[in-house]
Amino acid sequence: MSNSWRFISTIAKKEIVEFIRDWRTLLALIVIPLLIFPALFIALPLLLQSEAAELDALELDVTWQGDVNDELHNSFNESNLIINFETIPDDIENLSDIGGDLDRIRNQETQAVFRLIENESGWKFSILYVSTSEASSEARSRIIEAISAWESDVVNGTLVEAGLEPESTLDPVQWDGDYESADAATKGEQAGLVLSLFIPMVIAIWTASSAIQPSIDMTAGERERGTLEALLCLPCSRIQLLAGKWLAVASITSAGVALQIGGLLFAITYLASSSIIGLPSVSLSSILLLLSAVVIFAIMVVAFELALAMKAHSVKEAGSLLGPAILFIIFPALFTQVINLDSVESWWFAIPLVNILLAMRELLLDRIIIEHVLVWLISSVFYAGLAAWFAAKQFKREDLVASLS
Amino acid sequence: MGETLLTLNGVAKSFKDVDALVRVDLEIKSGQVVGLVGGNGAGKTTLLRLMAGVMEPSKGSILFQNNPVSSMRNKLGVVPESTGLYSRLTAWENIRYHSRIYGISDDVAWNRVSHFAKMLDLTDSLSRHTKGFSRGMRQKTALLRALAHGPDILLLDEPTAGLDVTSARTVRSLVGQLRDEGGTVIYSTHHLAEAQQVCDRIIIVHNGTIRADGSPNELLESTQKDSLEEAYVSLTSDKARSRSEDSKKESRLARWWRLFLTGRTPQIEGVGEDE
Repeated sequence: MSNSWRFISTIAKKEIVEFIRDWRTLLALIVIPLLIFPALFIALPLLLQSEAAELDALELDVTWQGDVNDELHNSFNESNLIINFETIPDDIENLSDIGGDLDRIRNQETQAVFRLIENESGWKFSILYVSTSEASSEARSRIIEAISAWESDVVNGTLVEAGLEPESTLDPVQWDGDYESADAATKGEQAGLVLSLFIPMVIAIWTASSAIQPSIDMTAGERERGTLEALLCLPCSRIQLLAGKWLAVASITSAGVALQIGGLLFAITYLASSSIIGLPSVSLSSILLLLSAVVIFAIMVVAFELALAMKAHSVKEAGSLLGPAILFIIFPALFTQVINLDSVESWWFAIPLVNILLAMRELLLDRIIIEHVLVWLISSVFYAGLAAWFAAKQFKREDLVASLS
Repeated sequence: MGETLLTLNGVAKSFKDVDALVRVDLEIKSGQVVGLVGGNGAGKTTLLRLMAGVMEPSKGSILFQNNPVSSMRNKLGVVPESTGLYSRLTAWENIRYHSRIYGISDDVAWNRVSHFAKMLDLTDSLSRHTKGFSRGMRQKTALLRALAHGPDILLLDEPTAGLDVTSARTVRSLVGQLRDEGGTVIYSTHHLAEAQQVCDRIIIVHNGTIRADGSPNELLESTQKDSLEEAYVSLTSDKARSRSEDSKKESRLARWWRLFLTGRTPQIEGVGEDE
């Protein structure tokens, strides 16, 4: 084993061991990334479903004011609405004027007030409710659903009376066949498109944000705790020290990103089993290029964050520097999502951060365009080198020792 | 007296416009315990850091057996003032981390460490995390860490600062033991009595210059004083300069911001005041 590798691996191993001994760190960087997507894609829909079912089963009190229609009344009863009939108040200007019903609606003595009057031209109605109350909104939804069905029956009846066929009169231009079978894209490509809209963003933001804590701990933290001077006295160069720390931060970050993607794939597989989304079809070449893009991105981001953190004299100062720096990742990540890949010019693939994000989007769609690949590969290697050079410059600074906290 | 290990030729060190060390010429021979004595900001720590190869001199050269000291750091053992232990690692893991970087096998390091650990009464604590260690235990662990690879010179920056009487005594005994075994130690301290007790040779550093260099008796003879304390006072009678970090100028904006947040400092009559 060469001396250089011995130094780098020893430093990296120690940093990782020290870092994972803190259970809070493990929770933040390992457990949360693993669970975030399953929680988002599986647990959240399940929770929403159960809440919706609970709401569906709820009996809701509705006050019906004005004229009564038996057909509609039956429909209300089938929708679990408990009806209490009243006359329409005299002091209102129109049916939407809440008037004296304000207090009892706001106090939820009744979930909604349904007003209906019949005149020469047909029916007029309104629903008084509280939009901030789920029960009240649910009562309104059920009333509207019942009215729509009733209205449809009324319209169809009128058309038939006039000797017209309702379907051809109301819907004269119709799609023939199955919507999905008309799409030339495979299920896998469609899944790739969906994933390309957020996987690059997730990787970019998570890599950048999860590298912050270890970067600070291993640089400004060492300075603040007074462990840096002893470390600098060891017979390894500052570059080897940087490389060891970089390897540790990159390993911790990669583990977090890998777990997050693992959680995401698990969630997608679960959703695929319920036919909500297919599994993406990405070729081996695209996967290898995708991994290269992630590695180059990690080299750049981790080196840059280590450099910034090393510039700081304390953990607090490093946090103040690196916290806002995450915005430089989030904005390009959001911006890149709206760039149209079908007509994207090659120079987009030379812009820092945007290049890697665009590359990841293209590769998830299994598109390998040689010109684009060359531009993002060369430019991102250049930027990663630049970040590494900046980090090396910070690690070589003499005042690391002279201005220890 | 042994062979020359460390040679400092016309060494000067400046930080921006502050001269931390002006011109230092020294030779450290093997088998000596050398005391660097001086007040705060005298330049002791800068001198030790230069000798440890973590800083480059602005002028002059520092050689370890005729090689630049920065390339010979594997021959040195350093205990900085802050000790630099990782609290989430055990004492042994802290020691092992450094010895692995020095290229020493775990077995060899353990044999050396267990020998000195008995002397320092630290054997039972080697498997404990250093988080709860007292200042004395931290200092002893840092000493073990610096000794684990068998250095030719041990550089100690104020090793007894903040220690209780017993711990300080143990550290001094260890230094004495190392001298008896032919080891070389450079020992920085504020305390003359301690230097007199431990060191064969005392170097008095003041305002970045070497004011005196010799055995305790030689210092007394050269200054014609009865005690080392009087000798020290006569050699360092000029006013001590402020530390380099104290002399950093505060920008107008920084001063405005400080005054905006905290208000003016109460003033002592006739002493400099905030504008």
